[in-house]
Amino acid sequence: MGSIRVFLIATMLATMTLFNFVATLQGYQSSLEEAERLFDNHLSQMVKLIANLHVEHMASNLNQSSDLAYQLWHKDQLVASSANSPKGFITELTAGFDYANFNGYRWRTLVHYAPDSDYWIVAAERTDQRFVLAEKVIIKAVTPIVLGIPLVGLLVWLIISRGLKPLRNLSFQLKHKQIDDLTAVKIPDLKDELEQVVQSINDLVRRLGSALEREKRFTADAAHELRTPISALKVQLHNIAEEVSADSQSFAQLKSGIERMQHLVEQLLSLYRFTPEEFANQFERVDIYLLAQNVLAEQHDAFEARQQSLELEGSSCYIEGDPFSLGALLQNLLSNANKYTPFGGEILVSVECSEGKVYLKVEDNGPGIKPADIDKVFERFHRLQKNLDQVFAQGCGLGLTIVKHVTELHRASIDILPSRFDSGCAFVIQFNEV
Amino acid sequence: MFLNSVILIFQETLEAAILMSVLLVFARINGIRPTWIIFAIAAGLVGALIFAFNMADISDWFDYVGQEVMNALIQLIIILCLTVFIALQSLRSRVTVSRHQNLIYITCMVAVVSLAMTREGSEIFIYIGMVLQQPEYIRPTLTGTGIGAGIGISCGTLLYYGLLGLPPRWAPVCGATLLALVSGNFASQAILNLTQADWLPYTKILWDSSVWLPEGSLQGHLLFAFFGYEATPSILQGIAYIAGMLFIGLSAYVGYRAAVHGKKLQPRGELVK
Amino acid sequence: MKFEIIMINKFTRMLALSLIAVMTLYCPHVVAKTPVLEIEIKDHLFFPATIEIPANTKVKLLIINRDSTSEEFESYDLNREKVIAGNRKAVIFVGPLSVGEYEFFGEFYPKTAQGKIVVIANE
Repeated sequence: MGSIRVFLIATMLATMTLFNFVATLQGYQSSLEEAERLFDNHLSQMVKLIANLHVEHMASNLNQSSDLAYQLWHKDQLVASSANSPKGFITELTAGFDYANFNGYRWRTLVHYAPDSDYWIVAAERTDQRFVLAEKVIIKAVTPIVLGIPLVGLLVWLIISRGLKPLRNLSFQLKHKQIDDLTAVKIPDLKDELEQVVQSINDLVRRLGSALEREKRFTADAAHELRTPISALKVQLHNIAEEVSADSQSFAQLKSGIERMQHLVEQLLSLYRFTPEEFANQFERVDIYLLAQNVLAEQHDAFEARQQSLELEGSSCYIEGDPFSLGALLQNLLSNANKYTPFGGEILVSVECSEGKVYLKVEDNGPGIKPADIDKVFERFHRLQKNLDQVFAQGCGLGLTIVKHVTELHRASIDILPSRFDSGCAFVIQFNEV
Repeated sequence: MFLNSVILIFQETLEAAILMSVLLVFARINGIRPTWIIFAIAAGLVGALIFAFNMADISDWFDYVGQEVMNALIQLIIILCLTVFIALQSLRSRVTVSRHQNLIYITCMVAVVSLAMTREGSEIFIYIGMVLQQPEYIRPTLTGTGIGAGIGISCGTLLYYGLLGLPPRWAPVCGATLLALVSGNFASQAILNLTQADWLPYTKILWDSSVWLPEGSLQGHLLFAFFGYEATPSILQGIAYIAGMLFIGLSAYVGYRAAVHGKKLQPRGELVK
Repeated sequence: MKFEIIMINKFTRMLALSLIAVMTLYCPHVVAKTPVLEIEIKDHLFFPATIEIPANTKVKLLIINRDSTSEEFESYDLNREKVIAGNRKAVIFVGPLSVGEYEFFGEFYPKTAQGKIVVIANE
């Protein structure tokens, strides 16, 4: 139905205009009829005056005006007339009001018969003059109504805008609420109608917040509790290693399974390690280029194993951030590229700064991501192309979720674009420079 | 000068406002952004100005009946556009239309509004142009123009929101019915114009209701704008009115058949909105 | 989805053809016996303001506007409406009418520009 405000203003203004204007028209018509009656009265008074005057005095006693004409007939003889009257009859000599055209105008005529003197008196008044005069008076009353409509429109606009302000305020707050902002919505000067809405929203937000908090704590606690038994398992694994033959397949699978479990637990822990509030306090100046150099050096072996070329280009760029989590971010992006890019592929990391922004890009010539999948890749435990190859088996589907989490903590943005190679994609993270 | 400017402006504005409201409702139902109306109004104003400035010469065409012929032509083109429009509307209410068909649909809306404005606007421009030559009439005429336009636009606005406020199933039906009435009205007026030009023969009067409901009364003007009411319509006008309405009904059926046919050809589900 | 396009095209073509047919059929029988009556508009008045025409006869009104301003000939009784530009002529066909009085007026100056057509019975 569109905007409530536009609907209210348009329909209210239309209704008011309609009724106002129709009422004005009615008023105009009855005023005009009244004016006609007045003018007719005036005409009949004049006729009576002429009848009572002596013929010879007529010319001097009646002031000659161009919009009045009269004739005095006696036995079909024109006894007296005004200068502007025609030579013949103005109109038929039948008593009463009528209209006639002469002298290039339309006239309202009145014929009166004085039986005692046998005089026919014909008086005429120009209709256009009468009309212009009457209309002038009425229009003066009508014009303010028409001119008032824009003013009324403005007032209606202001009043309705004011009335809908809390609603607009609420929708603005909800629209601009950060996804992870679970604080209550606050509307100043709350109206009764909205109170229930705001209350329900805040109630929902609060319940959602505590549910999320519980989930977070449970995951973090569970991961933390799992660390010890996994460490114990690893020790046991190390001990068994001496007892089984080196090429035992079951042992290799057991080992890789325990490593995956450890990786998962570590990832889960790093995902929930920080909350936004405590995070910002530890921010320091970080050279992204230097950080990338270090991470690349650490990860070098994994790329070597898949015969992929790994390059870094760019120069030193500084941002405010947490070096540990930024390292985790780049690690995850790189291991992602490592996994999805086939043997012998190319991976290119670049750091550049321009116009107050620092761009960290990780590009590969792997298969790329379908546009429809772009939104999904950041979801937890989402994996693309499940059976790509064996190396992939090590992933747990949390890497990009961590990447997203870290970018959000740094108030940075992440985009997935086509890479500069023929295929593959580029993860572009945009930070604010310091 | 006041009252006749009210009547003149009101009548012309109301006709255009009804068309615009109904078409805007259809555009809205189909999720078409209302930018087209700006183009339509601009084209209509330009058309009206051109028509008004050349009215004297156009009138001299065809042995002094050019005005009637042009008016009839415009009215018939509007009916044609409405027919195509309704067929496409009937089609798109059942299946998804192609980009090409959507373009025709919007073009029809623009054409209908701009042509209606051309014809009606030109009369207003001629009238205002005439008044501007006489300073003593300017004030009453402008006041009257304000009132006439105000009433016409208000009726259109209320009609628009009234139609939108209807249950979703009924809004298109009511809109199409109004368009059918407009089509019948224009067909009858076109016949009248051609009769006045003596291009069509005189036919007997169908009825005479001028005593009960004179055309010159406020109700008469309102009924004329909505239904093309006339106190003394000719037989040919009556036939044209019914034909104009039937055209709309028929084209709605054509659209429906095309949709059914299209659905049979295509696998179900893909075409359904 | 060519089907409905073809249908609509066929439909419009039929419509256009029938219109042309109707127009050409009735176009030729103009003038000839139709009597012409002249009405002048001067100072927003009709001269003559009353016109007599015979019953059941079609007449051609030739309206000459001597004013510099335009006028719109309008009649609810006759169902006629036509804009006449300043210092121009216009033709309006009226009738055949039955006996009676038919008022007309200038829509732009209805207070002054008034007149009527009186239809009288043929002998």
